[in-house]
Amino acid sequence: MANNNLMVGLEIGTSKICVVVGESRPDGTLKILGVGEAPSRGVRKGEIVDFETAMKCVHEAVVDAEQKSDVMIKSVYVAVAGSHLQSFSNRGCVMLPEDRDEIDEQDVEDVKINAREVSIPAQNAFLHSIIQHYQVDGQQGVLNPVGMLGQKLEADFHIIHGVRTRIQNTIRCVKELPLEVEDVVFSGLASAQVVLTQQEKDLGALVIDMGGGTTDYVLYSEGAVRQSGCLAVGGDHITNDISMGLRIPMARAEKLKIEEGSCVLGNCLPGEMILLKDDSGFAGKEIECETLNTIIYLRLREAFELLKRRLEQEPYLGYLGAGVFITGGCSLLSGIDHLASEIFEIPANLTHAQTAWGVTSAVENPQFSTAIGLVKFAQVMDVDRPPRGFSRIFGRLFSGKR
Amino acid sequence: MIQLNKNYSLPERLAEFIPIKIASVGGAGLNALDRIILDGLERADVVAINTDVQSLTSSVATRKVQLGRSVSRGLGAGGDPEVGYQAALESADEIREALADTDVIFICAGLGGGTGSGAAPYVAQAAREAGALVIAFVTLPFAFEGKRRNAQAREALARISEFAHAVVCFENDRMADLMAPQAGIHQAFAMADITISQSVRSIVNLVHRPGLIRIGFDDLLSALRTRNSRCLFGYGESDSDNRAHDALTQALKNPLMDRGRMLADSTHVLVQVAGGPGMTLSEVEILMQELGRHVSDQTQILFGAVVDGRLGDRLGVTIISSLSAEEDAVLLQTPPAPSNATSSPACEHYEPVTPQPELQSEEPAVESVPVEEPVPADEPMAAEALPAATPLSTETPPIPTRNGEPEYLISKPHEKSTSWKEEKAFTEKPAPPAKQEVLQFEPVTRGRFEKSEPTIIEGEDLDVPTYLRKNVKVK
Repeated sequence: MANNNLMVGLEIGTSKICVVVGESRPDGTLKILGVGEAPSRGVRKGEIVDFETAMKCVHEAVVDAEQKSDVMIKSVYVAVAGSHLQSFSNRGCVMLPEDRDEIDEQDVEDVKINAREVSIPAQNAFLHSIIQHYQVDGQQGVLNPVGMLGQKLEADFHIIHGVRTRIQNTIRCVKELPLEVEDVVFSGLASAQVVLTQQEKDLGALVIDMGGGTTDYVLYSEGAVRQSGCLAVGGDHITNDISMGLRIPMARAEKLKIEEGSCVLGNCLPGEMILLKDDSGFAGKEIECETLNTIIYLRLREAFELLKRRLEQEPYLGYLGAGVFITGGCSLLSGIDHLASEIFEIPANLTHAQTAWGVTSAVENPQFSTAIGLVKFAQVMDVDRPPRGFSRIFGRLFSGKR
Repeated sequence: MIQLNKNYSLPERLAEFIPIKIASVGGAGLNALDRIILDGLERADVVAINTDVQSLTSSVATRKVQLGRSVSRGLGAGGDPEVGYQAALESADEIREALADTDVIFICAGLGGGTGSGAAPYVAQAAREAGALVIAFVTLPFAFEGKRRNAQAREALARISEFAHAVVCFENDRMADLMAPQAGIHQAFAMADITISQSVRSIVNLVHRPGLIRIGFDDLLSALRTRNSRCLFGYGESDSDNRAHDALTQALKNPLMDRGRMLADSTHVLVQVAGGPGMTLSEVEILMQELGRHVSDQTQILFGAVVDGRLGDRLGVTIISSLSAEEDAVLLQTPPAPSNATSSPACEHYEPVTPQPELQSEEPAVESVPVEEPVPADEPMAAEALPAATPLSTETPPIPTRNGEPEYLISKPHEKSTSWKEEKAFTEKPAPPAKQEVLQFEPVTRGRFEKSEPTIIEGEDLDVPTYLRKNVKVK
């Protein structure tokens, strides 16, 4: 079933590992052929902490995906997350020579290189540099300057970078399976590819992908990425809080969170109790509904407020026409959209992969947003795909250039 | 979670000022002194003492004393300690005059040469006779400088130890081990100067900064108590998001620390955490918890915390300890920790405390009040926070070691009683109870994130449940 249009996204998440096999159709749409998943172990806060165990889990997930989609997986796009990822926006500038005033492709390449000539910490590597807008002789909002007349070409880039060795750990884990790594993508960026439509990106939207270990966010305004980042707080933290607050085992806390959890206060009758059945090694317990919700509420509220303070460092948050889009496993928590709209003071929606079709259950599950997004990212990249190979990525990480 | 109270820097505390003098003897001492001055040191007088006029002239110290005008005639002591000693005797009055009116005197000297080995013990004696607390920082020569020089240095060290309350000894050989083999010789020597300068400066700061949990000279002395020992010293500073972790890592990177491995064998570790008003309790907790991994359960941690507005967003950690070179020194001072906590010291504990009333009468009354104050305020909170923390009891070991405090008190009394009023004035006797109470908080409840890298944003450890940090009661 070798097919050049096949693309595979692999997300090594904190709670689970998912592999999505997608096919790019000639009409530009994306079809999901199959999804493999495996519970994740050895991953904390989006980063691998136990190499061997994580590798086994990845293998399981890949095998699962191969069986379900009936394809051999050879190379994958991998998502990376983790608190070490940082981002900023930077402007590059080139002046055209006196005797020429038509901007050509070389000038565009030059300005890209120029924009990337910023100092990032020595141990860091560039992950993405995403074009926001070009400016020609001060004219704002140029999307494609090739062929335009002008003397001065400027370009605004959004640059995402992270600690090189930590990114390499993820790559190595996949590489040792062995699978080829086509590219590494910031997981928040991947999710945004499928969660948002172009129209929403133009209007301005904030994507919050709240997974097990991290909360990734990407803010779009006027069609371009303005802010992005990763907060190392996720569903795991909620579970941990519940486990400690109610003094129940982690597994119980996780189940309780999924089945009964809500982050809306005052919705329970006073004294409404949840009965936890006894189990081997667990004596059973009655828990007040409101207590559970308070713990979840406090954690989520704090995470959102932290996010808001980060985003408020730049002025875009006030101009989001489309609102907040919440995806990832935590978006399944009841009431999270209300809480988000209360804190960000703009409408918030729960969302999942929109721009793909195929295995419906997968597409509609917000937990798969990132993995599906990787496939979409691959499809976009496919248009001008550079020669395949692992060395390309490693070369990039080493040289710090892309 | 309890925030460190921001308006806690009491003006009374700031007003209290301990006059400190730094006296350096000999060529190596002068080099170290120049380094100290160039690095910038507030609130301390410096005195340069040497036989060699040339090196005195080039020194940047403001006060200079030339030794032995007739003995050595402005030249050096020629590597002969006897000449150094005679020169010091000749200029005894000048030395006494220079060292007068000071409560604390630091003596810096490079041992092995003539002036350092000969005059430094005399200066130490003069300082002691002047009624000051004396702490000596000395370097021992490189092994290649010859056996004779080493023997001179050892002899001088022994004599200085007689007079000084504490001796911090840096072995040049050890610093050489830590240098890259291709590093220039000047770098190896500069290393010693830098290390001495850092330690002097941090000790001065340590004692001068008005602390929430203050470190007094008694703490300092007990951290440095083992004579003839190797000094472990580390200072780190950071203003990153994860500054507690970074500052500690930096402190442990100090050449004398050997990445914290040395700490495992030391019996007393003095730690001072200093930060701006933004320093949070959780940061201190994290730091101390991390440090706890480097020390053994028997180690007594002398802990101090300081809020200093000048530090801004930075957080600094000073770690001072000593490692006894000889086995017998270890035997002398370490009864196993569990026993100190319980039986014998309990009764003896009151002995050294008896001078306390007179000590407090010397101090202004304000002195003791602020230190006691947090105790009642903290106690109910501790009671609340602890039940939630009970599932993880991994953090408890440090607490018994804190009870080791009495052990240190009994072993000191001869020094305490024989020595000087001034010294008593500096000692902070009310501090021990406060230390114990605050460290009750050490059980940080991070649950499954215990082993992972902490997520610290805006000074809060996000791995600790929000309801605990916001102090919301859940049943």
